[in-house]
Amino acid sequence: MPPFPWTVSHASLPRRDFLADAGRALAAGWLATELPWLATLAGCARTGAEPALTVLSAAEGRTLWAVADRILPADGELPGAVEVGAVDFVDRALGTPYFAPSLPVVRAGLAALEARGFATLDEARQIAELRRIDRTPFFAAVRALVVSGVFADPSYGGNRGGGGWRIAGMTHAPSYHAPFGWYDAPNATERAA
Amino acid sequence: MSQRTYAERDAVDFVIVGSGAAGGVLAKELSTAGFDVVVLEQGPWQTPAQFAHDELAVERQGVTLNTAVEPVQTFRTSAEDRAEVRPTNTPDFRGLLYRRGVGGSSVHFTANYWRFRPIDFNERSVYGAIAGSGFADWPLTYEELEPYYTKVDREIGVSGAPGPFDPPRSHPYPMPPLPVKSSGVLLERAAAALGLHAQPAPMAIASRPYDGRPACMACGRCMYYGCEFGAKSSTLVTTIPRAQATGRCEVRTDATATRVETDARGRATGVLYRDRDGREGHRAARAVILAANGAETARLLLLSTSPRFPYGLANSSGKVGRYLMFNGGSATGGRFEHPLNEYKGHVVSRIIHDFYDADPKRGFYGGGGIDARLNSGPLGFALTGLPDDAPSWGRGYGRAVHDYYAHTVRFAGHTTSLPVETNSVSLDPEHVDAWGRPALRLTYLDHPDDMKTKQWFQDRTHELMEAAGAAHVWREPVRAATGGVHLLGTARMGNDPRESVVDRFHRAHDVPNLFVCDGSSLVTSGRGQPTMTIQALAFRAAEHIARFARAHEI
Repeated sequence: MPPFPWTVSHASLPRRDFLADAGRALAAGWLATELPWLATLAGCARTGAEPALTVLSAAEGRTLWAVADRILPADGELPGAVEVGAVDFVDRALGTPYFAPSLPVVRAGLAALEARGFATLDEARQIAELRRIDRTPFFAAVRALVVSGVFADPSYGGNRGGGGWRIAGMTHAPSYHAPFGWYDAPNATERAA
Repeated sequence: MSQRTYAERDAVDFVIVGSGAAGGVLAKELSTAGFDVVVLEQGPWQTPAQFAHDELAVERQGVTLNTAVEPVQTFRTSAEDRAEVRPTNTPDFRGLLYRRGVGGSSVHFTANYWRFRPIDFNERSVYGAIAGSGFADWPLTYEELEPYYTKVDREIGVSGAPGPFDPPRSHPYPMPPLPVKSSGVLLERAAAALGLHAQPAPMAIASRPYDGRPACMACGRCMYYGCEFGAKSSTLVTTIPRAQATGRCEVRTDATATRVETDARGRATGVLYRDRDGREGHRAARAVILAANGAETARLLLLSTSPRFPYGLANSSGKVGRYLMFNGGSATGGRFEHPLNEYKGHVVSRIIHDFYDADPKRGFYGGGGIDARLNSGPLGFALTGLPDDAPSWGRGYGRAVHDYYAHTVRFAGHTTSLPVETNSVSLDPEHVDAWGRPALRLTYLDHPDDMKTKQWFQDRTHELMEAAGAAHVWREPVRAATGGVHLLGTARMGNDPRESVVDRFHRAHDVPNLFVCDGSSLVTSGRGQPTMTIQALAFRAAEHIARFARAHEI
């Protein structure tokens, strides 16, 4: 349908109508049991120790960590971007040909947030900061990177433990068989009968 | 598979530019008919084992397209404007999209194989002229093409079952339909509620082991992806291996055609090309066949100027590159209470063809088909697939992706494009690609009736989504086309050399040993699924070309 089948459509710019209620339960138990290395990373960030980064500086990494945590935070049983390794993904991705062109705008944006002490702000103030800039090229780039870090194949360093696929409510397998969903299940049963 | 190779000095009967949906068929038909054939393919030869389930690489970065030579494309909506360069390697790129590589875009297509219907070939006579368009009848009929549709069914491998509006067919589908998906069940339910008719989608995907290939494994990666199982009936796994097996066909990869050569008599003598390292080669042949797609074929003709052909080869009509058509589309999204899991299985399992024909009572020309599909991996869906009233970041965003992705489907209309003469592929006067060729310049603005058709079909898909019982329904924006994967009409067929580029046998009116057969041959656009017809034309063209060759009429 193209550009039709090639376009998923919808404006790619983020919108401002997200839920801004404050307070979030850190999924600490989930972190501890399923992704111990990430608990370490989270601990590092909280204590000021530096995660291992290849492209971004430690300061940029800290700010990115906080931004990623605001873009796709954990929600109950669903992990968030930082828990599934999106920061690691973004750092690596910015060194690849496809994402490297975003590096200057990402760097400049992170520096601007860092100058406002973003990583140390409380959640409500972080949200307010991002709402202020959520139609900028920086935000579009960093959102695309962080979301890619959540849902891209784990071989890229994000989507750890298939956490992104859990967020998407899907089972990830090399192939499937009918019935595929709830509505076609009776048809498959009829055929089998 | 090993293949025969031809030295530069070897005379061959045919050089075919392009190994895609059309080129792959022509190569097989002419080599099995006993002719020596060399196919020039600008991309690499990837095997199914090299295709992977990698959404970031495939759907976001477009690796399947093999844009190793950075393509340069420019765009404008009016011939009065200066065209602007558009970066091609981004997911937001909506220009001329096609794959470079053996099998061409038949490797990454969705495999919807709708036949055209008798009305597609003579709509101009039925509905009359349409202002602002070059609406025309075809120089052939459905009845003439039917045997070749049957060949596509069998030799390419199409699964399906008859529907109430199908055109006459001489033989049944060689394979039963693929299993119905949840989206198909819902489309059936909606159609029944509205008095419409849903039918199994004809797909060029093996629904059972076929011709040495396995049945579909329902991996969910058809559109944009190469099929790693070989179940999708691309020419890569169907006609091209059979062409090689004749010992009379060489597919030369990484060979980008730059010019069709002609002699003082105005006959084609061969094709100049460049290899991966930029070295120039010359493939001499007794006849040249262009099957490089509606963008590349037109550019190659326009580039092949000479004193005898100052406006490009085979362009005495001035129609080369013109009447470009993409097919339109619009869609309505819906979220359902229970999971559909549209990421599993083939993309489309049910279609509705009640609105295929145009209807003058609507007040504009246009028709189309409707299907149910999601065609997005979780990454693409999270980035751009949620409805506008869902959060796009922040608290609730992850939950929205969770609640929507497996529960969402789109009902999509696939619609006509009118042939507008100014909608075109031409040579950009300012920008060049890595080989120094002028960039592809796209000039395109939807005919007003095309926009009305998209809007009208969105109203229908909206009604269907409501009738299907969706818990939440949203209309996707209806966009003006700025490109596409269906590249149609740019070297149209016709009986009048002043109004068309090739005759009813795909022979160029101006050059007796030059044939053009691919999407560029189409006179009208059909209803959004052109590959079946492109391949039926290729089977038919090959038969006639072989006949001419045997009779020394080339």
